[in-house]
Amino acid sequence: MGKYFSKQKWSYLFYTISHPMDGYYWIRHREYGSVPLAILMVILFSFSFTANRLLASFVVNDLDPRGIDMLYELMGVLAFYLLLCVSNWSVTCLMNGEGRLKDIAVAIGYGTVPMTFVMILSTIISQLIADEEQAFYGILIGVGIAYGVIMMLIGIMQVHNYTLGKTLLTLLITIIAALIIVFLLLLLSNLLGLVYNFFHSIYTELIFRV
Amino acid sequence: MRKLNKLKAVISLCLTLVILFTTEGIAAMADELPYDSYNYDYRKYIHFTPAPYIPERTITGLDFTYNGEPLGSFKTPQDMCQAPDGNIYIADTGNNRIVVLDSAMKKVVKIITTFNNNGTEDKFNNPYGVCVSEKGNVYVADYKNKRVVAMDQNENVFLIIDNPESESLDDNFAFNPLKVTVDYADRVYVIAQNMFEGIMVFESNGQFTNFFGTINVEISAWDKFWKRLATKEERANQQLYIPTEFTGIDIDPEGFVYASNIDATGVQGVRRLNPRGEDVIKKGFNANVGGDLQIEGSSDYSGASQFTDVVYRDKGIYSCLDRRRGRIFTYDHEGNLLYIFGGRGTQQGTFTLPVAVEDIGGRLTVLDATKGEILCFVETEYGRLINEAVALRYDGDEAEAVALWERVLELDENNELANTGIGKAYLTAGDYEKAMFYLELGMAREYYSIAFKRYRNQILTENASWFLSGAAVLLVLWFGFKAWKKRKKGEDE
Repeated sequence: MGKYFSKQKWSYLFYTISHPMDGYYWIRHREYGSVPLAILMVILFSFSFTANRLLASFVVNDLDPRGIDMLYELMGVLAFYLLLCVSNWSVTCLMNGEGRLKDIAVAIGYGTVPMTFVMILSTIISQLIADEEQAFYGILIGVGIAYGVIMMLIGIMQVHNYTLGKTLLTLLITIIAALIIVFLLLLLSNLLGLVYNFFHSIYTELIFRV
Repeated sequence: MRKLNKLKAVISLCLTLVILFTTEGIAAMADELPYDSYNYDYRKYIHFTPAPYIPERTITGLDFTYNGEPLGSFKTPQDMCQAPDGNIYIADTGNNRIVVLDSAMKKVVKIITTFNNNGTEDKFNNPYGVCVSEKGNVYVADYKNKRVVAMDQNENVFLIIDNPESESLDDNFAFNPLKVTVDYADRVYVIAQNMFEGIMVFESNGQFTNFFGTINVEISAWDKFWKRLATKEERANQQLYIPTEFTGIDIDPEGFVYASNIDATGVQGVRRLNPRGEDVIKKGFNANVGGDLQIEGSSDYSGASQFTDVVYRDKGIYSCLDRRRGRIFTYDHEGNLLYIFGGRGTQQGTFTLPVAVEDIGGRLTVLDATKGEILCFVETEYGRLINEAVALRYDGDEAEAVALWERVLELDENNELANTGIGKAYLTAGDYEKAMFYLELGMAREYYSIAFKRYRNQILTENASWFLSGAAVLLVLWFGFKAWKKRKKGEDE
């Protein structure tokens, strides 16, 4: 297979979407996946998500456009992606998971593609529907998200060579691990802030005395 | 080049001057009023509007003489009421008298200090509330004498309500009437102090019948949970869950009672009670008739609005008086906020302790207890347009209201009611594209959806031939492509 964004990688991405079981297996064992492509997919998902929130028609959209910031949401999605990958990796390392960090990144990243697709599709469809047809819009989005989640689940299951039960268990622990990571990061930033303040006050003290 | 620069300089100077003069004019106009006028939009942002009402004049007791004697200033007046004949009755509580002014509030018609109570001369002691019935009888809530006195125009008492007795009343209950009002059948509605069960209703013969419009206490599951955990001592120290008291009362021509109450959560400060005592008020899309929507903060000036009086005006419009920030909130029959104005302060046109509001000849009139003043507010063009447009909508003439709403939009571009009003009129007229434009600006999602649906059908029927032939062409192309691919595959093999 070619480099990161080669034609084969792209076509294998679409193969994985339609055949997740098989697709993820070969991603783990034959290097058919591409991490940069997965990250690109996550970025596209973030953009489509923002686009849906901003551009969906007035009938279905009750959000205040002033409260939506595309870059802010991109940061959020990327941070969440990183957090999920790292916490899943750190949990599965201890639980006999076979997947490497890059496999996890590909599994989750490729899983966002159905969601991206459905976000764009529903944004277009929202322009054509009236109040009573809102249910279709909701079902469409629900189906897309469900498909994406199932894909991620299968992806994680396959790259680690887990059973479904063990996958769900590790996912639960992954969420706890993610919370711990967030907690530690907050603690770290807080402590670093204190250290910074300490040196800063020494500096100002010196400035005032000299 | 140099000439050009000179020209530029001249132009920029002119522009600067123009901007300077125009902005100065606007600033001066805004400075004239001692308060802000605003409204809340769909997303609960404050948007400032032109003033709907402006202070016209302030009346104090010092303005009047009666029988050659100066009237003297009002002392903590608490209530005000307009009689069917136009005269205005003011409960001059601190001076233990009822002052009657003529409808123009230019002169004193009479002063009621004493009255004939079955042959003996009797007096008031802190009369808090006053009301005049359709028949012209005067009802006074005589607070410290613990009674309601009803008298005819010649101060002859025909009914005294005191010590109401009923199974539903406590034995040691003290009857301290604060506000009183009378309906067309001479039923008397009394708001009494510490009477949390609701408004007390008396028959025309003074017999207590029932409580009216009881406000139920809502205790959340969370509170119940904590209550369960708390010990007996802790529970004793906690705040009691008491329903709020009513503060002001008014009756509309259909016999519905408008009653204001103080709601600490700021959701519902006024109720519209049907003859069975059920609340039938409409709360608009915010599900709120409690005054200000932005009530964060912990200072004296923040917190939920406290409605101290309500006045039913006309065509479903009613105004509520907020004593916390001295504002008057006006709603229509659907519970939409029409406009907000007024403020607390010591300047002319502001309140220190507003207690009563009344609509006297189209003017909103507010009684200030601390200052002992009556403040009259007269509607501006902006206020008049909204009042008239809402009245037309109330009568069902939405098409006629369009011209008024368009003028409102000229004065206040972001008025959502105006946009919705115009949009609805276009919707009925069949101009769906324009209707969609205005309804979206007015954030009227339901009507927008209706307009959109009809617009969509219109487009579909108008262009049906194009759509159908397009679909046919696509189908042919698709099959052609498939056949071509198949053939190519066959060739390859």
